[in-house]
Amino acid sequence: MATQTDKVYVLPGDEIDSALIPSHPKHPLRLGPGLRHVPPSDLFPTTAGQLVTDRRKNLIWVESNGGRYIPAVGDLVIGTIHHGAADFFYVTLSDYTSNATLPQLAFEMASKKNRPQLHSGNLVYARVSLANRHMDPELECVSPSTGKAEGLGPLSEGMLYSISLGMARRLLMRKSAEEGKVVVLDELGAAGLAFETAVGRNGKMWVNSKDIKTVLVVGRAVTETDEKSLTVEQQKKLVRRLIKEMA
Amino acid sequence: MPREAEPSQNEKDFILKAVREGHRLDGRALDEFRQLDLKFGDQYGVADVTLGKTRIIAKVTAEVTVPYTDRPFDGIFTITTELSPMASPAFEVNRPTETEVLLSRLLEKTVRRSNALDTESLCLVAGQKCWSIRVDLHVLSHDGNLIDASCLAVVAALRHFRKPDTSMEGDTLTVYTPAEREPVPLSWLHSPFCITFSFFGSISVGEDGEEKDIWLLDTTLLEEQLRVSSCTISMNKHGEICQVAKPGGAPVEAVTVVQCSSLALQKVKDLSDFVDQKLAEDSKHRNKGGLLAELSAENAR
Repeated sequence: MATQTDKVYVLPGDEIDSALIPSHPKHPLRLGPGLRHVPPSDLFPTTAGQLVTDRRKNLIWVESNGGRYIPAVGDLVIGTIHHGAADFFYVTLSDYTSNATLPQLAFEMASKKNRPQLHSGNLVYARVSLANRHMDPELECVSPSTGKAEGLGPLSEGMLYSISLGMARRLLMRKSAEEGKVVVLDELGAAGLAFETAVGRNGKMWVNSKDIKTVLVVGRAVTETDEKSLTVEQQKKLVRRLIKEMA
Repeated sequence: MPREAEPSQNEKDFILKAVREGHRLDGRALDEFRQLDLKFGDQYGVADVTLGKTRIIAKVTAEVTVPYTDRPFDGIFTITTELSPMASPAFEVNRPTETEVLLSRLLEKTVRRSNALDTESLCLVAGQKCWSIRVDLHVLSHDGNLIDASCLAVVAALRHFRKPDTSMEGDTLTVYTPAEREPVPLSWLHSPFCITFSFFGSISVGEDGEEKDIWLLDTTLLEEQLRVSSCTISMNKHGEICQVAKPGGAPVEAVTVVQCSSLALQKVKDLSDFVDQKLAEDSKHRNKGGLLAELSAENAR
């Protein structure tokens, strides 16, 4: 991960110190969100946030907590079916934005005769397969290489919570406790609650459990952590309080 | 015209199921209000109400105008509401939505028609000059229960407002600046507050299968989108009902409405005490040296 210990913050249009840009003998430099490449060799941030680099994989991007979700290829998202047409479902990723399309055959084991029956208002967990500027994004609920769902597909029952985009990214980090500093879900699980969650990059979190109270506690814990930007210690305290209230 | 974003089926089912079991998303009791806050501006007559994530600003202004010809002894009192696209993308400028029309009608009925403000006291010269009091209401953030929060903002702003002092000598009317004479409060008769009940169908309780209506107080936007009907009761702290509005929706038992009105009285008393306390704090803050009483030219009524 980032080699320098002190964090670097940038504003749109700032000049990036060339010492911060990673260089690698083999891999090409890959730009993540929030950066713009002006040929031949200029690099400018387009959003305000923390500049993060990965020297091993030769990556650089700007981490920010923006308000609007902009789809990017490979993102896992939770969408609401808006309506269905002959070959596509039209899916809402965020309110008041144009719909993404989800082909009816982009599900596990789907064929012309055996398609999933989804209605307006149903939730799907999907991956963004195509995202270009000025074009509606395209989704898929199946891995194109293996043909397996790999956890994607319709989400039934449960409750959908809106969280900030930064929180969604933190929850989706591979080591969300160490890197993202979110321990609420781990703590709730350790307290003996049984629940399942799905987090969408578009600022949505789906929680399901057999017990309504469990869903409510999980939802409250995560939204409160997000809104009040709690530290690890405060999160542990919050979980203890919620568990006590629930009993 | 953009429509309000609709919640997904999963959210609808879950919230209804939770409400039937007596739980709400934010962990409140069914008849509990969100965190309420009221701030007054530096000027007289500006009130900023925050109720959970709903935020409303009311501003009162006064000017001298000619009274309506059919009511020469009355002043003019108007309330204008504005739901801007800032509050929700579903609102458009210059095209009032149903929410906005309902809101302004209700405020009109609650505050104006209940004679909370004595309009006769606004008359300066019969048939020629009168005060025109105007309340502008801006919704800055919309997270449900606009009616209760707006009514509180309007009442608080009007009670906080001071209009310039005037005097009549022969035929000349003098309006004094605040530097010459301390502005005087409006002649305020009573403080009505709105309490909105949102109904979510009925459940059967007991062994004989008796039906009981479920209702919530101070709903969030999400809950508001799922309710089957709503009922707004306006009353003052003495329990005098100014109006009851139930605009359409599913029918509700008469007994429930009676129960609601008795609970509304209790909530109105709380709100009334809250506004009184905030006004007292504000006047104490303004009246640092205790000189305001000496500056006032107002006579005891």
